[in-house]
Amino acid sequence: MDYLVVFLVLVVFLQTRVTDLKRAVICLASQSVIIAIACFVIGFSHGNDIHAVMPGVLTIIVKVIFIPGAVYRLVKKLKNEREIVSASNVNYSTMAAALFLVMGYALVERLMPGAAGRDIVASSILMIMTGLSLMVLRKRAIIQICGLITLENGIYLLGLLMTEGLPLVVELGVFLDVLIAVVVLVILTSRMRLSFMTTDTSVMKKLKG
Amino acid sequence: MNFDIRELIYIILALPLIFSAVSATNFLGKDVLHWLNRLVATGVGAAIIALLLTFDADIPFAGQYIYLDALSMWMLIIIGTLYFAFAWTSKAYLDRDTNKRYGYLRRFGYLEGRFYALSHIFVWIMLLVVLVNNLGLMWVTIEATTLVSALLVAFKFTRNSLEATWKYVMVCTVGICLALLGTIIVYYIQLNTMGSENALNWLYLYEHSKMMDPAMAKFALCFLFVGYGTKIGLAPMHSWLPDAYSEAPALTSGLLSGSLCSCAVYVLIRNIIILMPSIGIDFISGLCLFFGLFTIAVAVPFVVVQRDIKRMLAYSSMENFGLMMAAFGLFVPVAAQAMLLNLFNHALVKFSLFYMAGTVIGEYGTKNMMRIHGMMVQVPRSATFLLLGIVALLGMPPFGIFFSKFYMLYGFFISDHPWLGVLTLVLLAGMLIGILYHVMRMLGGRPKRKAAGELFGFIDSLVIAGLLIFGFVVSAGLGEITILNHLLNNAAKIVLGGVA
Repeated sequence: MDYLVVFLVLVVFLQTRVTDLKRAVICLASQSVIIAIACFVIGFSHGNDIHAVMPGVLTIIVKVIFIPGAVYRLVKKLKNEREIVSASNVNYSTMAAALFLVMGYALVERLMPGAAGRDIVASSILMIMTGLSLMVLRKRAIIQICGLITLENGIYLLGLLMTEGLPLVVELGVFLDVLIAVVVLVILTSRMRLSFMTTDTSVMKKLKG
Repeated sequence: MNFDIRELIYIILALPLIFSAVSATNFLGKDVLHWLNRLVATGVGAAIIALLLTFDADIPFAGQYIYLDALSMWMLIIIGTLYFAFAWTSKAYLDRDTNKRYGYLRRFGYLEGRFYALSHIFVWIMLLVVLVNNLGLMWVTIEATTLVSALLVAFKFTRNSLEATWKYVMVCTVGICLALLGTIIVYYIQLNTMGSENALNWLYLYEHSKMMDPAMAKFALCFLFVGYGTKIGLAPMHSWLPDAYSEAPALTSGLLSGSLCSCAVYVLIRNIIILMPSIGIDFISGLCLFFGLFTIAVAVPFVVVQRDIKRMLAYSSMENFGLMMAAFGLFVPVAAQAMLLNLFNHALVKFSLFYMAGTVIGEYGTKNMMRIHGMMVQVPRSATFLLLGIVALLGMPPFGIFFSKFYMLYGFFISDHPWLGVLTLVLLAGMLIGILYHVMRMLGGRPKRKAAGELFGFIDSLVIAGLLIFGFVVSAGLGEITILNHLLNNAAKIVLGGVA
């Protein structure tokens, strides 16, 4: 488990550094792989029935294979992307992530001193906050989608640790929703490419007031 | 024909789903599609009426995944009415939008099937929201409404609608993810105090709500409030709302404002009912009052300087939901009942107004209110109905919102918050002045542009007039209609959760 947390933090930091879209998607997939392994570890420590395997298998199908696959297919189409903003906020998001990591540990120390899964709680707080900062600070649509999935992964990991998995029906529903969300976002991004000739969201600032 | 409650619920849930699957295949002709759409919505409406007559508001119906009590029945009535109105106005709307000469969708006549499929599945998910018995499933369905309605908001795929949808999906999904965190914390509390039986079952949690841990419950409430508050459009999480409402097709805006926001309010209230006994009402009351009034205060200046007619209606929607949240935060029976009544009235009036705004946009080819003058001369029928709708929206008698807003404000004065009541009145007066100024400018004056002619058809007028009259009859004659009165009393009792 400790190794997993180390890898997870590493991948999340990498996620904030990456500007190349393809690498960002690969980063996302590897992050989900770590989450899936964590699902199996936590699941098998509580029993051997279907509920132990289900979250891990679903994570692999939905978050490791389908979502990165769909986004990757989109990224491959974005060859002649016209970049409008070149000054990216990469350094800001990395610094924010570092701050969030410290903040996560401080929060855990305050709220539940000496609890068993404090590293996992801290890293899931890191993921939630980093996902948010990716969505706010970065302008590329694809990176924002990655941020959203990171946020969702963080909440999912936290939920898994706190409750050993939600009820089965709810769990299925949550995965279905994430799946549809990504499909909708991919449709929107490809439409954005057609009508704005770019997937940089900073061109969209007409609606105000 | 006598159906029991279970069968009626199955009918209500089956019909829209089947229709949307059929219309998604795009294999029916347009006329068949339009008529089938009306038939399905009328069938669902009839089933809801039958359900209302069979259902006893004192005895909730609980199935394995389904739970129906007075509150959900009330929500079903709201959604059913809007569904009916949607189906009977959609043909006129689509004909206008696919019109050869000026319609926006003129090159995409084949998209009608897709529009129907998405709209019906959207309504179907909202019906599910109010019928499921599980807090987790409520979260799942609310998130699903966001995603389906996102495709409807972006239906025309213009640059503006793409921008609005992107903002809508991003902001709402983040908000709803926080609500998921809140739901997870509720489940954590349940695991620690009651065990994993009946996980997240609303009724079970309601019966055992006193056992919850107050500190954790407060923690969960914060996430749930921010999460579902984003979906309701409470300030400062409202940034998506005016964009999405103004760029969506007119009928979708009506459904978004009238029923989707109501569903979000419903889910938030269901969650609060569970957390109420352990947290105590003071904290919740302060939260609801502050955010509700803050939302109204944010909406007023934007209405006054607004140029876009649908954005103006969107801000007015924020004002109404802010007022409803504040009235809920008062925790007095009169205000709770008036809040539920306003949910109903606002849905009806706002749907009609969004539909009429769509008509006006069709007639003048612009959304800018500054470019529309002399509607009374050019398009008298639309102008009359727009005036009636605006008068109803602003809460003037004899329309329904007058009664509900009056009792909500009355609630402020009988519950030790007289100064907040005065503040609300001042804010509402600002709202009234802003909206009335803009609409009167549009209606009166000398025409400066050529209108495309009167687009407000016969069936439309019947439906819109029906909505306005229905709202009036239900609100004014509530004391006389025993079955609705009983239902509303019970629903208000559920909302207050036995606290007040």
